[in-house]
Amino acid sequence: MPFNQALRLSSVLLAAAAFIGLGLGANLPEWLLLLTGISLILTLLRTLDIDRFQRVFDRMRLSAMVWNILTVIAFAGFWADLLWISAELLPAGVHFLLILMVIKLFNLDQRRDYLHLYAISLMAILGSAASTTDLWYLPVFLAYLLMGVWTLLLYQLTKESGTGHSPASMTENAAVALQPGRREQITPELFWLANGLAVGALCLTVLIFFTIPRVSAGFGQKGSGEGLRTSGFSETVDLGMIGPIKRDPGIVMRVELSDRTGLQLDRFYLRGMAYDRYDGKSWTTRLAHRRALVESPAGTFSVRHISSRSPRPVGQLIRQTILLEALDTAVLFAAPHPESISGQFLAIQSDPTGAIYLPFPTSSRIEYTVHSSVTPVAPADLQSQPAVYTEVFKQHFLQIPESSERLGVLAREITQSKSSAYEKAQAVEAYLTKNYRYSLDIPSSVQTNPLEEFLFERKTGYCEHYATAMVMLLRAAGVPARLVTGFLATEWNEYGNYYLVRQRDAHAWVEIHLPNSGWVTMDPTPAVSEPSGDSQWFALSRVMDTLRLRWNRFFVQYNAADQLAVVRGLKEGTAVVRDRAWNSLSLLLAPAGDFAGKTLSYIVGGNVRLAAGFLSFVVLGVGLVIWLMQRKPWSRWRRSGPVIREHIVIGQIYRGVLKQIERHGIAKPRNATPQEFLLLVQQQWAAAAEFVATITELYCRGRFGKMILTQQEIDLAYHSLKQLTQLDPPAHT
Amino acid sequence: MLTRARRLFRHFLRHRSTRVTTEGTRFLFFTLAVAVAAINTGNNLFYLLLAMMLSIILMSGIMAEYCLRRLEFHRHLPPLVYAGEPMTATVVVANRKSRLPSFSLRLWDVTGEQEIDRGLTVWQLMPGASHILSYPLIATRRGRLCFDGVRVGTSFPFGLFYKKAYYPLDGSVVVAPVVRPVEKTLLQRLSLLGQDFSLPRKGHGSDLYNLRQYHAGDDSRTIHWLSTARTSKLMVREMEAEDQRRVTLILSLLAPLSYDPQFEEAVSLTASMARDLGARGYQVRLIAGETRSHFGQGEAHLLRLMETLALCERSTPGRRESVSSFESASYDSEGGATILLVPWGEPRTLFRGVRPDGIVSESMLQGRHDAV
Repeated sequence: MPFNQALRLSSVLLAAAAFIGLGLGANLPEWLLLLTGISLILTLLRTLDIDRFQRVFDRMRLSAMVWNILTVIAFAGFWADLLWISAELLPAGVHFLLILMVIKLFNLDQRRDYLHLYAISLMAILGSAASTTDLWYLPVFLAYLLMGVWTLLLYQLTKESGTGHSPASMTENAAVALQPGRREQITPELFWLANGLAVGALCLTVLIFFTIPRVSAGFGQKGSGEGLRTSGFSETVDLGMIGPIKRDPGIVMRVELSDRTGLQLDRFYLRGMAYDRYDGKSWTTRLAHRRALVESPAGTFSVRHISSRSPRPVGQLIRQTILLEALDTAVLFAAPHPESISGQFLAIQSDPTGAIYLPFPTSSRIEYTVHSSVTPVAPADLQSQPAVYTEVFKQHFLQIPESSERLGVLAREITQSKSSAYEKAQAVEAYLTKNYRYSLDIPSSVQTNPLEEFLFERKTGYCEHYATAMVMLLRAAGVPARLVTGFLATEWNEYGNYYLVRQRDAHAWVEIHLPNSGWVTMDPTPAVSEPSGDSQWFALSRVMDTLRLRWNRFFVQYNAADQLAVVRGLKEGTAVVRDRAWNSLSLLLAPAGDFAGKTLSYIVGGNVRLAAGFLSFVVLGVGLVIWLMQRKPWSRWRRSGPVIREHIVIGQIYRGVLKQIERHGIAKPRNATPQEFLLLVQQQWAAAAEFVATITELYCRGRFGKMILTQQEIDLAYHSLKQLTQLDPPAHT
Repeated sequence: MLTRARRLFRHFLRHRSTRVTTEGTRFLFFTLAVAVAAINTGNNLFYLLLAMMLSIILMSGIMAEYCLRRLEFHRHLPPLVYAGEPMTATVVVANRKSRLPSFSLRLWDVTGEQEIDRGLTVWQLMPGASHILSYPLIATRRGRLCFDGVRVGTSFPFGLFYKKAYYPLDGSVVVAPVVRPVEKTLLQRLSLLGQDFSLPRKGHGSDLYNLRQYHAGDDSRTIHWLSTARTSKLMVREMEAEDQRRVTLILSLLAPLSYDPQFEEAVSLTASMARDLGARGYQVRLIAGETRSHFGQGEAHLLRLMETLALCERSTPGRRESVSSFESASYDSEGGATILLVPWGEPRTLFRGVRPDGIVSESMLQGRHDAV
């Protein structure tokens, strides 16, 4: 493909990559998307030199004046858009940019038009970067990088080719000025070099991206937009509120676990808020007053469990790294019993129920790390033990709505044979799991007493109904309990080693209070087998999500703290590697060191012969090393440098001469130099001497003098060899 | 230490230089703009774009350096050229790299501090390959034309920077004076001034000198059968002695600065006469200042004379020229002609005791110079 055509093609593709980025990221009007898309397709067809389209384009050609008028109109439109239609700078600017792109696409004649198109493309890809953080930006960016490298390369090459010619139009005049030959064609070498350059640029880009200091002045920082709407995490939750979102596959968060040993693989609870008061229709928390957590060290906040009435047994710590999407709630989710939380936060708050909050909902994706402790049930709680609770505690966690006599009867029925609180809880849990059916198809009509309807009439419901029923039954049986909302993570991504938590994973469960163990998690909702789709598609979606997570983690969320962490990690890693290397070396050299030590002690001991032998050995060894360093015998097996084509050719010609002369009985002795052989030929075959002398001289110049022979000299050598073959044989043969 | 550092710096500057192109300036401006946007917003995707642009700048530098590295140059020049006449110079450039090709190379001849653009470009040079570049060269004045090296530049790969590297590549060519055809009238005028170039004598040459009647002892191979038949007497040929067809050209190097044009004209005329007389079969000897040649003929002898004339330098009159050398050299015992070329001064005073066969004086040279 000729350079000019390739440049036109790569320029259009560059603009297309930028347009796709903008189209996917910014909310563009359909007419503008359509107009720009059609313009790009038409320009692409024109670039491919299809005659029919070329003719159509030639007919449609407008004068420069018309284009200028259109540009002025577009500029006026930009102001109108800015002031009245979009009323925002970024969308209005993006619309104007695309209009400019369309105008330039139809007006690509001069070299400066190409430069304008590149500038517009750059602005467009910047606009795209400003309007999105999604994974699809990555392929768009890669395409932009590849096309950018090709375009810049071809722009330079066409400029070099056109040097000396008038700066004429790229399409017609330059094509005439440049003779279409191999010189202006894309050779395979250039093709691979350009792609190699793109790969090299990508590697450097990644390197620079991770090392460039993140100095954020932050004047124009902007979040990714409105938070994801979720429900179940406000101070009041109506029973049945979680139901509608149980079918929403939207991703809420991703949870990475450093160690999953000792955990249930298919159920991982991410606790949000806890509720203490139920009025028959909705749950409310009366312990909503928040207190700021103490930050120590910087970025890490320790959680104090105010409501724990007794010291909890210290269990295993689970480290979770959570990447939380922007939500419309300030609640931070974590496994039950968080001990500490760290992240880029100015402040963290918590309420007496153990829920953790940000001061206000975040408008962008956040990442934080939580350490939670797993609290097993204390053995003492398995036995019957009277518990004494304060009035305040009872008011909060033993509260029951007034009209619930049937509830009390049922609670007694279930728990009458059980003595300890934990056994009672287990009995209620088992009862609900066994006798009730899980279903999301609950009529949305207004229910006067949804709990009793669930327990005694319908006997079908979902997590909220189960959890509410369990809390109420336990409270009726005298066991303090509360309802907890959060997410139940079940979707494990084996490719990225994290839980993918979606809206539909929103869940409600129960926490019961045991005198020695504190609050213990229990879940009466039966495990529901999810309808599994095509496993390959699921695997693919998990792979994609892993990529998305990596993209967010390493590119979108990458910040100065990560840089510091990397540097620290490298430093520690280097120290570890250095220590290990030193230890290995010490181990390796220990026998030699022992031997040297013993030998030295021998020498000191007066063994003169051994001393002389040792010294001789050292001297010889040092001498050998010096000799090796100077002579470098290994260089004999290494190629001394690139072989020049002319050297190969003259070598072949000289070998042809030797073969030709040998046919007439004059063989070159193995130890004779080319000049000595020439003397021999002069003596034995005078007629051939002139030709042999010519070739010998050229051979010596090329082979030993490292001179690059010209084509004329190579031709002369060929000619001489040809004449040599036509000579009569020497007289003596 | 400071001097050494300065020398090193100068050496580096001579061997590598980088210039930002117009496109490069624009690209740098955009990079700066993206950097400001990235810092201002803290948007990592802006940082990604910034990293891309910085990597392109870095790749530009790295690739340009690779393009210019490990190149080898050889220059092929003819041994002697004439001023004002075009010659073909050849530069062979070889890529000694084992893997990477070099692209978009442009070459300049470097003479002293001057870079001369000959329009030499190599679009692509594969690893291990070589490329021959020939270009016409016209030397404007006589002397030794020296080349210090070759400067090679490229804006590959992206045209953002123009990087140049210097490769020392000594080369010189001797530029003989301008040689023009010598008018016959000039030689006639010269012969009128003094005696004829030479008196023809019989000898062992190739030109016919005389026909005479055969005497006993004459070589029978010299019998001229045509005349013998015509006169009915045995006639023999006598040949002209060729060793008498010889000329000594004596060029005075004395001339003040203001007479430089006349001096150059004298040198040019001497060269023209040497070539013209050599072509006519004369043995020519040249005496220019302290330098003197032997009588000789042929291409090799002419080249030696031209080299002498190419490199001779004007002496200012204050520095006394050795007149005695002219005196002793002026006479040709074999009877050849002597022509004096005197760009300045009175020939009789300068060359006392010399009896030239012809004198090219200051006024004649002025006239010729004006005519040119």
